[in-house]
Amino acid sequence: MAGATGATPTTYSPSPVSKTIKRPIFSELDWVRPDGRAFHQCRPAFLKTGAVNAAAGSAYAEFGNTKVIVSVFGPRESKKAMMYSDIGRLNCNVSYTTFAMPVRGQGSDHQEFSSMLHKALEGAIILESFPKTTVDVFALVMESGGSDLPVVISCASLALADAGIMMSDLVAAASVSCLGTNLLIDPICEEESYQDGSLMITCMPSRNEVTQLSVTGEWSTAKVHEAMELCLDACSKLGKIMRSCLKEAASASQE
Amino acid sequence: MGMAEVGEKDLVTPGEVLGKASELIPGRGAYVAPHNNTVYASLTGRRVIIPPSLGSPDQRPVVEVTGHKAHGAVPEPGSIVIARVTKVMARLASADILCVGSKSVREKFTGIIRQQDVRATEIDKVDMHSSFRPGDIVKAVVLSLGDARAYYLSTAKNELGVVSAESTAGATMVPISWTEMQCPLTGQIEQRKVAKIGPSQSSNQA
Repeated sequence: MAGATGATPTTYSPSPVSKTIKRPIFSELDWVRPDGRAFHQCRPAFLKTGAVNAAAGSAYAEFGNTKVIVSVFGPRESKKAMMYSDIGRLNCNVSYTTFAMPVRGQGSDHQEFSSMLHKALEGAIILESFPKTTVDVFALVMESGGSDLPVVISCASLALADAGIMMSDLVAAASVSCLGTNLLIDPICEEESYQDGSLMITCMPSRNEVTQLSVTGEWSTAKVHEAMELCLDACSKLGKIMRSCLKEAASASQE
Repeated sequence: MGMAEVGEKDLVTPGEVLGKASELIPGRGAYVAPHNNTVYASLTGRRVIIPPSLGSPDQRPVVEVTGHKAHGAVPEPGSIVIARVTKVMARLASADILCVGSKSVREKFTGIIRQQDVRATEIDKVDMHSSFRPGDIVKAVVLSLGDARAYYLSTAKNELGVVSAESTAGATMVPISWTEMQCPLTGQIEQRKVAKIGPSQSSNQA
């Protein structure tokens, strides 16, 4: 970069980046999903509660290649520095292991995901039932195979139900990716890297209430409606799977 | 009276509909959604319907969700707790709550016993050091949620107070009156606010 020594440049131009270049979106050809699913088909879900003995409640979720484990501690005493509050507090933390990404790197604490998880759950938990105390939710993503946050949210709600925290309803989440004119539900990593936009909904299936809606990219009104319907439908199906998982665990522990 | 009528072994999960608010009162583990007057479950467990007591104005049965797992014990105002005294100061004693009712807690909660809550009589003449020592196990009742740092506890009843204490010699002391305990090894008498252990079943000793 040529420049007069001692003179600060008046314009900023980013240096050329030689990382992976996003391939142009195919608008003529139809995208074929690498794992052979239809556009509106979700990955099979595997859910299990009681994975972590040390925690008050825990759950493990495996959606294709996305593997998440969530532990819930509490209600336990809030830190001394916190002010008095006559409702409970929720503290969420989402972190990735070092081996979660395809390129092995530093495990990181996702601040953004942590606060999104907090927003998704706080609408469903009955905070008045545990005044002055704190419930800690720790989510660990062991393998990131796409659509991480919805899986984390669903798994966290299952772990909270397993811990016996009073909730208005379970929380199920689903996300949709927009590739050109196609809407793909439950995208995997590769599809997320090519997406034009994404829409994620977390809802309480049996009460039909949405706790969080997050949209990125450019969407037309019709597309938003279509994507929301897809997500809500997927959430209600996921809600049924979550309930049967809880009931199975409950009846197994009773015998 | 009023045996609980157990509904067929149906397990419910949070968010499942239990009935209409016009027919049921929500008990523990259930709540009413105000906008559509329906009673939903808030815990995972079995649905139990308790018939209404005769003569009560509201004749709706109470629905509760019990069994499986409720969250670990949390001190609530009015509950009896077992705590271990950690610090004794001039006007208060600090204690770690270990059990709430009959359940032990997973992680301790902090409670304080103020000078005026140690006993019911002559509350301004209480000497904290003659009532508790660090390491004593006390039975107390939770007065209130207290402040940000601790729950407020009280031992101002006959059956509340020191349940078990160690003497300076290291042996578990024996209570001899409501203010004194004696060490079985050395015979030394130490002052405590002793809890009166309730009459045992074989209480016909003259």
